Amino acid sequence: MVFSSAVFLFVFLPLTLLFYYLLGSRRNSDKDMAAKNLILCIASLIFYAWGEPVYIVLMLISIVFNYNIGMDIEDSAEKPKKAKALLVFSLIFNLAMLGFFKYAGFFAENIAALFGFENRYEPVALPIGISFYTFQIISYVVDVYRKDAKAQRKIIPFACYISMFPQLIAGPIVQYSDIEKQLGSRTVTPEKFYDGIIYFIRGLGKKVLFANTVGAVYSGILADGVGSASVVTAWLGILCYTLQIYFDFSGYSDMAVGLGKMFGFEFVRNFNFPYKATSITDFWRRWHISLSSWFRDYVYIPLGGNRKGTARTVINILIVWSLTGLWHGADWNFIVWGMFYGVLLIAEKYPLRKLLEKTPTCLKYIGTMITVMIGWVFFSSSSLSEAFTFISSLFAFSGNPLIDSQAKYLLSENAFSLVIMILGAVGVFDYVSAREEGRLRKTVKSAMYLCIFVLCVVYLISDTYNPFLYFRF
Amino acid sequence: MNSRNNDDYIYQYEHIDDGAESARGKRKGTVIAGITALIFCLIIFGVSLLHLLVPDQSFSENENRVLSLMPKFSLSAVADGSFMEDFETYLTDQFPFRDSLISLKTYADRLLGKSKENGVYIGKDGFLFDSPTVYHEGQGKSITDAIRTFQEKNSRLNVTVAIAPNSSYIYSDKLPAYWQPDDQRDYLRKIYILLKGSGVNWIDASKVLAEKAKSSDQLLYYKTDHHWTTAGAYTVFESILEQWKMTTYTKDYAFYTVADDFRGTMASASGVNDVGDRVEICVPKDSEGTYVVEFESKGEKTSSLFFSDRLKNKNKYEVFLGGNYDKVNITTVSPSKNSLLIIKDSYANCMIPMLTPYFNKIVVIDPRYLTDSLDSIIKENSFTHVLFLYNLNTLLEDSSLAECLAG
Repeated sequence: MVFSSAVFLFVFLPLTLLFYYLLGSRRNSDKDMAAKNLILCIASLIFYAWGEPVYIVLMLISIVFNYNIGMDIEDSAEKPKKAKALLVFSLIFNLAMLGFFKYAGFFAENIAALFGFENRYEPVALPIGISFYTFQIISYVVDVYRKDAKAQRKIIPFACYISMFPQLIAGPIVQYSDIEKQLGSRTVTPEKFYDGIIYFIRGLGKKVLFANTVGAVYSGILADGVGSASVVTAWLGILCYTLQIYFDFSGYSDMAVGLGKMFGFEFVRNFNFPYKATSITDFWRRWHISLSSWFRDYVYIPLGGNRKGTARTVINILIVWSLTGLWHGADWNFIVWGMFYGVLLIAEKYPLRKLLEKTPTCLKYIGTMITVMIGWVFFSSSSLSEAFTFISSLFAFSGNPLIDSQAKYLLSENAFSLVIMILGAVGVFDYVSAREEGRLRKTVKSAMYLCIFVLCVVYLISDTYNPFLYFRF
Repeated sequence: MNSRNNDDYIYQYEHIDDGAESARGKRKGTVIAGITALIFCLIIFGVSLLHLLVPDQSFSENENRVLSLMPKFSLSAVADGSFMEDFETYLTDQFPFRDSLISLKTYADRLLGKSKENGVYIGKDGFLFDSPTVYHEGQGKSITDAIRTFQEKNSRLNVTVAIAPNSSYIYSDKLPAYWQPDDQRDYLRKIYILLKGSGVNWIDASKVLAEKAKSSDQLLYYKTDHHWTTAGAYTVFESILEQWKMTTYTKDYAFYTVADDFRGTMASASGVNDVGDRVEICVPKDSEGTYVVEFESKGEKTSSLFFSDRLKNKNKYEVFLGGNYDKVNITTVSPSKNSLLIIKDSYANCMIPMLTPYFNKIVVIDPRYLTDSLDSIIKENSFTHVLFLYNLNTLLEDSSLAECLAG
């Protein structure tokens, strides 16, 4: 199930809220939490099973396995070797699950190509959210092993953590130690619920009104063939994708944060206006924050971080970033995309450090944005050769015209909405609305958000407009 | 966020100021927060309730299709996910105020400056346009080769080809700004060159229509449909008569308006429904009872080429000939010794009544539905004239004409 669907908005969400607040409320606060967690857990499993009725088994196995191993690790605290062995066992189990479902096809294909035999392996369908929940599970077992968190002794709160529907499909990746307390006690005030609604609508608007519209422009440009597109069209295309991926992803995170608040949780913020970044390092502090933090805490630092000399630091960064690339998808262009950032981050850290300190901010900003957009070319292309075709159109390497009638039409058609979206992406609207919040301002803001919600519903339902056309005769 | 280390990898820990959440002035606004939350809940619960209370519709007038109903629950349908999929379609198909929401969306889009809706371009003054079909050398060659061979095989027949462009060519001044559709005049010239020297008569429909559009304010194409209007067909009809040198028989024609709320295919496709088109019929004066129409495959005979009952339907263009049939035989009381074979698409349907005074027999075939052999139809009838009457898009999209001519 996705948040931007009628079934979520008008069936799943109202029913879950109803059960959670009417049936889940108990006088005794311990019983109250237990009932609420149970309802949330059931709702989450239904949410997951809605699109993946079979893979729910996979998730249940993961829950039961890691629930038990977490307690075992804690119980073996006196025997470090046993605890370590248990940790390694669980890491192998969890990564093998992820590897089998996400990467087996990719490895089979490459091994077959390497040794020159025919690849007969047919990859299985990827279970939704497996990349996200596997990382959450790893965070749990590692946190318990490091004694950063206590093992969860009740299975329902644990199942809740793994399957929690607001962030199950697209993050943010919640680290166990951050949420441990909230699983045992949390409160909802009208203010918090209100904030949740605002966050949710904000995310829904980003997804439905912005990402979907601009995504349609991008796919239209792709369908007409990027190879022959004019320079302006190609840049317009990658600009659209740049906006689409930000609004899509950060919209989803906002919805997750908002839904979390409605049920009393506080999740970390996943995006902080990444297109305001003035360096690549800055960009990655603002983009998909929960993923970078995860890699920092569970890969980079265990590898030694930057404490073992420059050479090791460089190698560590490259390892982290090829893994980051691979996490985004099982294909070479994702690995190239990850390495691209790894190399840039190292460059900013060492050789370019002095130079960047002297460069004016506006130049750094433009350079960062162009670099990020070229990064998105690799990210969005389905193969490396497609990515290079796109790059050559961007810089007129194959003699493309600067501008043509298609570009003029696309510009005239989308200029207005693109300007609004760019202003939104760099946070102009938030700057305006972040001023002192009086009663009037709050009323206007609330009314605006409610209108945005209605508009989202209008666009969502219109998307299913499907006239039977008697014609073409 | 964790604060268990202070490694300088890419993070410096900083307070992230949240745009959507402001701690200031919180107490003041609790009532507003409560009311907003209440309205939000009213919307999501209200829609679900409305959904339950309002009876389901089985058919959508607007979309001209059967709507999904509540799927049957079964464990196997849940296990393979089809129940969930069907349920989602049911929910959106039966969504309260669905039609209004859809038209609201097209207004919102236009406010934002969008001029394209589901592949249909929204032009000025209520004109809707679709993209012309792209011309491919191979398709042009196969069609013209087939027509050439046909003319060679039937050299004693007077063969005429008339191909109508689309409204985006004739009404190019009504196109949305900066949209440049493919040049249909150029496509037609290519087809004309391929037919040159074959002995086939060529009607330059794009030229006469463009001239007429300039000199008269009659609408030659529907604003909301992909067909030409009766006036458009009449314009080309006149130049066909000229080509056949039949102007001596000149008859008086009368135009009657039969509907003025026709929302055609492009209105349906785009969901833009603000203007309705007028539908006219054109008949030779005193033509009542001058012909008999036989729909061969249906085994039906009528005395009219118009089907006024179709004006109740969404597709009012069906008033002409009642739609498309594989083969229709028309016998007239015309004193003429000539008889005509029309090989056509739906563009011909509104022109056929105009042709009845000039032939004692007209056979209309639509290659897309025809299963009989064309050769035997020609053998059974002693035709004097053959008219290929097509719209350029259909001609370029369709392979049945070449197949039919090849036999």
